[in-house]
Amino acid sequence: MFSPRANRRAWVLVSMAVALTVVRPGSARAQTIDDGVMMARGELFTGAIYTHDQWNQYWEGGLKRDNGNIGTLTTQSNTVVGVFGVTNRLNLLSNVPYIWTEASRGVLHGMNGVQDLSIAAKYSLLERQESPVGALRLIGVFAAAFPLTDYTPDFQPLSIGSASTRLSWRGTASMQGRDGTFVDASGAFTWRSNVTLDRPYYFTEDQLHMTDEVSMPPVLDVGVMGGFRGPRLMAAATVGVQHMSSGGDIRRQDAPFVSNRMNALRVGGVVMYPLPKLDPLAVRVSYAYTVTGRNVGQANTVSFGLVYRFYLLGRPTP
Amino acid sequence: MLSDSRRSFARPVACALVLAIAASHAPELAAAGNDADAGTWRMIVMTGPAQIAVAPPASTSSADYQAELTALKAAQGRLTRAQQRAIDYWGRGGVVCWNEIMLEMVARADLPPPPNADGTYSAPDANNPFAEPQFPFGNPPYAARAYSYVSVAQFDALKAAWYFKYLYNRPSPSDVDGGVRALLPTNGLPAYPSEAAVLSGVTAELLKLLFPTNVEEITRKAAEQREAALLSGRATASDLAAGLALGNAVAALFTARAASDGMRTAAGSPALFASLAAAATARGEVPWHSLESPPRPPMLAAFGNVRAWMMTPADILNERPPAPPSTSSALMAREVEEVRNAVRKPTREQIALVYKWSDGVSTPTPPGHWNMIAAPHIAAGGFSEVRTARAFALLNMTMHDAAVGCWDAKFAYYNPRPSQMDPRIRTIIGLPNFPSYTSGHSTFSAAAAEVLSYLFPAAAPEFQALRDEAAISRLYGGIHYRSDIEVGKEHGSRIGGYTVSFARTDGADLPH
Repeated sequence: MFSPRANRRAWVLVSMAVALTVVRPGSARAQTIDDGVMMARGELFTGAIYTHDQWNQYWEGGLKRDNGNIGTLTTQSNTVVGVFGVTNRLNLLSNVPYIWTEASRGVLHGMNGVQDLSIAAKYSLLERQESPVGALRLIGVFAAAFPLTDYTPDFQPLSIGSASTRLSWRGTASMQGRDGTFVDASGAFTWRSNVTLDRPYYFTEDQLHMTDEVSMPPVLDVGVMGGFRGPRLMAAATVGVQHMSSGGDIRRQDAPFVSNRMNALRVGGVVMYPLPKLDPLAVRVSYAYTVTGRNVGQANTVSFGLVYRFYLLGRPTP
Repeated sequence: MLSDSRRSFARPVACALVLAIAASHAPELAAAGNDADAGTWRMIVMTGPAQIAVAPPASTSSADYQAELTALKAAQGRLTRAQQRAIDYWGRGGVVCWNEIMLEMVARADLPPPPNADGTYSAPDANNPFAEPQFPFGNPPYAARAYSYVSVAQFDALKAAWYFKYLYNRPSPSDVDGGVRALLPTNGLPAYPSEAAVLSGVTAELLKLLFPTNVEEITRKAAEQREAALLSGRATASDLAAGLALGNAVAALFTARAASDGMRTAAGSPALFASLAAAATARGEVPWHSLESPPRPPMLAAFGNVRAWMMTPADILNERPPAPPSTSSALMAREVEEVRNAVRKPTREQIALVYKWSDGVSTPTPPGHWNMIAAPHIAAGGFSEVRTARAFALLNMTMHDAAVGCWDAKFAYYNPRPSQMDPRIRTIIGLPNFPSYTSGHSTFSAAAAEVLSYLFPAAAPEFQALRDEAAISRLYGGIHYRSDIEVGKEHGSRIGGYTVSFARTDGADLPH
């Protein structure tokens, strides 16, 4: 559990192996759970993404503060992603991150490990290629995430996750102009299963609960991404809100707790571009900044990915 | 309020068991079950059961009493659902309910003061409890003392109540008048003074002293407890009034003790911290220092001088463990290495133990954890209210004495934590901000296991296993050396022995 190096090396090798299993190149468009892009039938989009998330101030309830016993909290991850076009209208997505955390000051030990397996079915509900504003698409997504390892959720903010099984419904509306400009708007409701702690009681929301089971507030996510999406380049600005309407605040000088109400407004951007001569191997770089929040760190989040898109079943005839 | 998904099904099972036994041996067990002789059990702070006088009650045939019955019946006729819920809640037993309420108050108070902008820390002020940082910081020694004050005061007050109950033998209202409904099982316990009112008075007064910011909840709960006793058909207004007066008067005795038990000066002073560090240096040892940023004064540096229950100051000194391994010794180097290895590659089982026993901020603290361990055993015992109070009092007295003994050792030796000896040691729980030797968890747990094993011998192996896992979890968490743990356990067991000696001779466990 506390040997990040060896595990990190293993994930890099796996990622490279996935990237090298090239059959036939496709185009280099992004494909994420919340964008308006669909893979064609037989297309596989895969890659590895490294993410670096760092904060040195956080919101203790509504109070923004720093903490000399944490210093800067850094969470890094390597994530293997995969998207497959089952049909032109149904895509399956999956990803698994390996995460490691560390605090720059104080004596607390970082944590690391394989976190949760996410799988999702993305279905194109409605497509209008010839509308006055360009192509319109409505997408519905059903997603589930399961902890793959028995990591503890009771060492926030150093735990690698919440150890909760999650189910979410997402709807995305996408408008893609003929000139390449686009706007994708997406919203999701995520239900989270109870979390089981290793201890028989906990205190949150001004109550002592004499059980090891913690009920987790559901999460609402809303995001808008807009910019340019051409055959090769994609560049967009992003804004996203994560909102929970329940869950306890971190009390003054308390430690964070797994079921805290964690709200955030994040702004950022994403760029994806095929590498010269290595097309369709593409780089994907994204950045997000937490403008404001509640019971979260004011994070700067950078991710860098190498992604590859190819036809696993052979290019379909038009 | 407490949510309790586990005990909710354990309780009916325990009740069914008690009812089944009661049904087969009702006449014999009814008397023994009420502990009619509890007025003769040895007191702890009170000088005797009649130290506080309780006037004889009016006759049940008097006009005043009959008027009380009429009022009671009228109130039962207007019973609301909220009142019925309160009757069911308090019907589980006042001591058990107050114990749960108190666990929550400790968890609520268990937050250290935040640092000020200039790097100092403000101390909570008992005279201005609502000002930030609120009073108190319910840390483990503070909590151990608080649990013990409430439990011992409840126990002494109930022994006095039992003395007068069986002196005056006034029946419960539902036994006097068939028109009064018994909304809780009848037990034949004399009603005057009401044990519920005694508990409401003694507990509320002490909780207001110990956790003053909860005054509103405390007052409301105490009134609810008395009203539930009345509406259930167990007490009339005069039973309640006499009980409340007795409870309040007993609380005053304990409040006076608390004012002069050494707690006021337990925080210590910068001069004291400096002298402890200088003394350790003079002995050739590395003195403890705070690893928090900004550095925080050590927790209750003079708590070792607080008055214990079952031990004299000389006993505390006599039982003080020998010095820890020298910080420059080879043994210490090996123990530091053992901690470093433990946190480097803990197993999932070890991590589970660390968090099971973390008992850090926002928790009822280790003494509260042991109250939770004891509660189901006490409930399953089918004890009378006074015997229930005895079990919690014995447990909480020994854990307070353990806190005094452990803090005495910690500040006598001022021994550094593993992360101070080796900065490579990173902990998987918060690092307590006070010296290492001996382990508080180990001392608390060994003392508690000793007393609980005496009270519930059949469960002794369970208590000892819990003690051992609580103790070793602190090494797995990276915050204690093996010596802290092993010596702490031995120390705690010896401290537990003092309370067990009292329990053997207090009159409660003599054969009937």
